[in-house]
Amino acid sequence: MSAPAGAHATREPAGAQVAIEAVSKGFGRVSALREVSLQIGPGEAVAITGRSGSGKSTLLALIGGLEQPDSGRVLIDGRAVWKDPHPARARRELVGFVFQRHLLLAALSARANVEVPLIGAGMHHGARRTRALSLLEAVGIADRAEHLPSELSGGESQRVAVARALANEPRLLLADEPTGALDSTTSERVMDLLFELRRDLGMTLVVVSYDPSVGARADRTVTLVDGRIEAPDGALFQRR
Amino acid sequence: MLAIITTNLLRRSTRTVFTASGIAVGVATIVALLAFTQGLKETAAGFVHLGGSELGIFQANVSEPTASVLPESIVGRLQARPEVARATPLLLLVEGLKADSSAIVFGADPAGFFTHNLVLTGGRRPAGGARELLIGDRLAAQLHLLPGATLAVEEHRYRVAGVYHSGVLFEDSGAVLELAQAQQLASRPAEVTDIVVQLAPGVRASRAAGGIEHALPGTQVISDPQQALRVGANGILISKAILVIVVIALIVGAISVTNTMAMSIMERQGELGVLSTVGWSPARVASLILGEGVAVSVLGAAAGLLFGVIGGSLLVRALGVSAYVSPSVTAWGLGRGLLVGVAIGVLGGIYPAWRVTRMTPLKALSAT
Repeated sequence: MSAPAGAHATREPAGAQVAIEAVSKGFGRVSALREVSLQIGPGEAVAITGRSGSGKSTLLALIGGLEQPDSGRVLIDGRAVWKDPHPARARRELVGFVFQRHLLLAALSARANVEVPLIGAGMHHGARRTRALSLLEAVGIADRAEHLPSELSGGESQRVAVARALANEPRLLLADEPTGALDSTTSERVMDLLFELRRDLGMTLVVVSYDPSVGARADRTVTLVDGRIEAPDGALFQRR
Repeated sequence: MLAIITTNLLRRSTRTVFTASGIAVGVATIVALLAFTQGLKETAAGFVHLGGSELGIFQANVSEPTASVLPESIVGRLQARPEVARATPLLLLVEGLKADSSAIVFGADPAGFFTHNLVLTGGRRPAGGARELLIGDRLAAQLHLLPGATLAVEEHRYRVAGVYHSGVLFEDSGAVLELAQAQQLASRPAEVTDIVVQLAPGVRASRAAGGIEHALPGTQVISDPQQALRVGANGILISKAILVIVVIALIVGAISVTNTMAMSIMERQGELGVLSTVGWSPARVASLILGEGVAVSVLGAAAGLLFGVIGGSLLVRALGVSAYVSPSVTAWGLGRGLLVGVAIGVLGGIYPAWRVTRMTPLKALSAT
């Protein structure tokens, strides 16, 4: 796997540092996260595991600035995305997302889907097209560039979603159960792709997954239980 | 952005077509009404300058000029005024022709300039006292009449003595009868509808009008088409009604677009969440929604312009009122229709676009 042209030429270091400080989040009367604190180093690959409803996806959403924490704060390279005067721009500059379902825009081709984040960045049409094709080549589906999502397999669609996540050269890639909707063989390939990209581009990678094999690939595994991080010995980390 | 807007509209082509159709109907109505208004102005111009006159003297405060009643005796008083070169009375019989109820029969003094200025294209002038009349060339063509034919006016049959052309729509679509016979038919002896005036050389119409109104209380002098439209209560009502219809079209159209765009947003909440997640600013996402609204509206407005122009002409023909009003389409009329269409899109898109900016990306994504 080779990095797309210009993907990290200007980045040093390529990965972002993430600091999660006593973050809590609830939805109505349900408490999804309870004073969670976590440090992720630049370029580190972290797997977040836990049972359904343990708060994994909520934690990922808070890291990526998709929602505001009730208390505590999340910093990416020292920036609080949610509190940034331009949170969308901060997300664009720092974070790439891959979800369980590919969430591609159905009416747009694979190439156009990859171009979508670049439109948000105001990139010129010609440059967008070149970069999108380069990214599709990097994820191995350049030959499917003009196909609609309905014409792609699940694995191919997820590769397009990965290419889209990389479009703005993020320092942090957040993947929320990216293989949850795929068969085991395809899951393996997509996970290979994510970790290869992380290695080649030097990004920080946070993957939420049920799959124990993901933990084996990551530098570190964090387990959530009822909205709290579980210590290696089974105890729960408490706010200090 | 434009490509995404186009793709989204094409993806939901049925909804796009129905929404655009609703807007098209509104815009077509506006364009047709504006064309009618312009046509009315042009018709009024002909009405003011009947027989090549410069002024028309009508009864003041009537519901419409054709309802005016004046004593024939004031013709002499008018002719005695220094600013008046010539004055001749007219009695208008509306809906007097059974063969074409939209045609007007003009009762005119055979010796007056109104009758004198008619250019005969066939036949001859009526013999004095005979049951004969002249018909305009448009009416002759429409009813396929030639000199020698007969025509019924208010249940009485008249022989067509000749066919004329004047260049004024009202006149060429109507007929001219001797004033005394018209007064007899209308049972209005010694009464006329209006008196048309040609001014002495060098006299300005506006100055003459003031003097005449002052000298003849209870009269209204009309010298320009706008004035002709304003003088009648019906003209004012038409103008107000058009304004109301334009506003209603704007409101209904905006609600229609709002409804469509709001439904579209609910269906595409997840998609919009993705855009937000990948770094589109709320303003950019909102502009996508607004852009779709405006694009639908422009499509509808374009179709509406076409329907308005064609439909207005067809309606006039179907109602048989072409003698009174012929829709006149102007660039400004079309421009206003287009502006209303775009305004519908902008107004209709504002609320849905605002709603998008209030959603957090996570909430939007939860709809997927």
